[in-house]
Amino acid sequence: MIELSGIRHTNLDISSLRIPPGTTSVIGPNGSGKTMLLKLLAGITLPQSGTVFIDGLHPREIETGWVNEFPDRNILFGTVFDEVASSLRFRHLPDKDVERTVEILLDSMGISPLTDRPVYDLSGGEKVLVALAAALVHTPRFLVLDECDSHLDNNRARQIERIVQERRIPYVIRCTQQVESAIRSDHVIFLENGRVAFDGLPTDVFAQLHDTPFYPLSLECGI
Amino acid sequence: MRIDLDAVQITRDSWSVSATGTFTEGIHLISGDTGSGKTTLARIIAGLSLPTSGTVRREGISHPMISFQFPEHHVTGSTVSEECSSWGLDPTVILEQTALTEKAGISPLRLSRGELKRLHLACVLSQEYDLLVLDEPFSSLDCKEKERACTTISGRTRGITIIFTHEQEQFPRVDMLWEIAHGSLHSRGSLPNALRTWEHAPEIIRELIRKGREPANLTRQDIREAACRI
Repeated sequence: MIELSGIRHTNLDISSLRIPPGTTSVIGPNGSGKTMLLKLLAGITLPQSGTVFIDGLHPREIETGWVNEFPDRNILFGTVFDEVASSLRFRHLPDKDVERTVEILLDSMGISPLTDRPVYDLSGGEKVLVALAAALVHTPRFLVLDECDSHLDNNRARQIERIVQERRIPYVIRCTQQVESAIRSDHVIFLENGRVAFDGLPTDVFAQLHDTPFYPLSLECGI
Repeated sequence: MRIDLDAVQITRDSWSVSATGTFTEGIHLISGDTGSGKTTLARIIAGLSLPTSGTVRREGISHPMISFQFPEHHVTGSTVSEECSSWGLDPTVILEQTALTEKAGISPLRLSRGELKRLHLACVLSQEYDLLVLDEPFSSLDCKEKERACTTISGRTRGITIIFTHEQEQFPRVDMLWEIAHGSLHSRGSLPNALRTWEHAPEIIRELIRKGREPANLTRQDIREAACRI
């Protein structure tokens, strides 16, 4: 269980929030604090006050993967292989182990043809896949996807959803504006003005959002 | 006013996209996957780049505008207020419209991604153009802002508006539907007939067509009305 208590940080004000294992979609208006919440959960930023625990541990004690909306801005190395291998190399793992782990991962994601390609030469969707591979290579217990579907077409977004599901990562938290895909999550959090307005099962949260643009059309139309 | 693309081809190493077609006054939606060439074609139609081969002819277009996918590429003002002025607009009006009055004095680059896109679109859509090319206008916007942008775009009655997008949930009213598929631009025609051959149709539209409830157009209201039709 992820537990937040007494969080006050910039515009975030969350007195108590519990996020169970599974996939959680964080939705809400622009500027509501979604990315800041993800940063606190991932331990990138420490809260001015309050606590965050993931299964009783501090976020910085948990193996975490992060994929953001513009992955090419975070990419450091020239080729796909070097980028995905980087976190294993930083741990001084033997070259043969690194090579094998990266090969198996890229193959399982269906992107081994990209192995030796320069990252700058890839399409936006391919770059997100590479960033995702770099996040998955160290088998994270917690994966954060910060609106990485914003610049993806439907096929790519579904492909990423499938890859993440197959990994059975204990906690996946994704921030998205694609409410139709949020229906498929295990849990939904609706943030508004830095506060958790609603959280729980997708059906319960969306029931509270009826008559707002955040209500999925498929639910409204019964399709 | 019209734009003719005549055997336009753009080639880069082993990748290419080709386009032939005519855009007249009205709202055109061009869908396509990431990496299919939407941005490349948007820049060529706007006159910012030249194709590898083929010709682009523009008739009666003296005031074109392109809105880039990433709004930070447009920023020239050092404050949010200056950014509005740089478009020749009254900051008070735009900031009120975008609910950014309190952020008037900060750098536009300190706004959240969605806020900057909201500001940028408000500036672009406040003016009239002969040609308006919008490259992924809805990315980074929340659902409420997407709806608002769609309503504003739907209200455009003058000039040629061409929207390039992979959006699947919210659309403006559209006159002509196009898509980039299999390396070339295809015209699917006018709505609603175009929906039947639209390869990138969102699941909800496919489902409505399967049930014989074809929407008249693409707005949320059109889809609601089609779903409720007995």
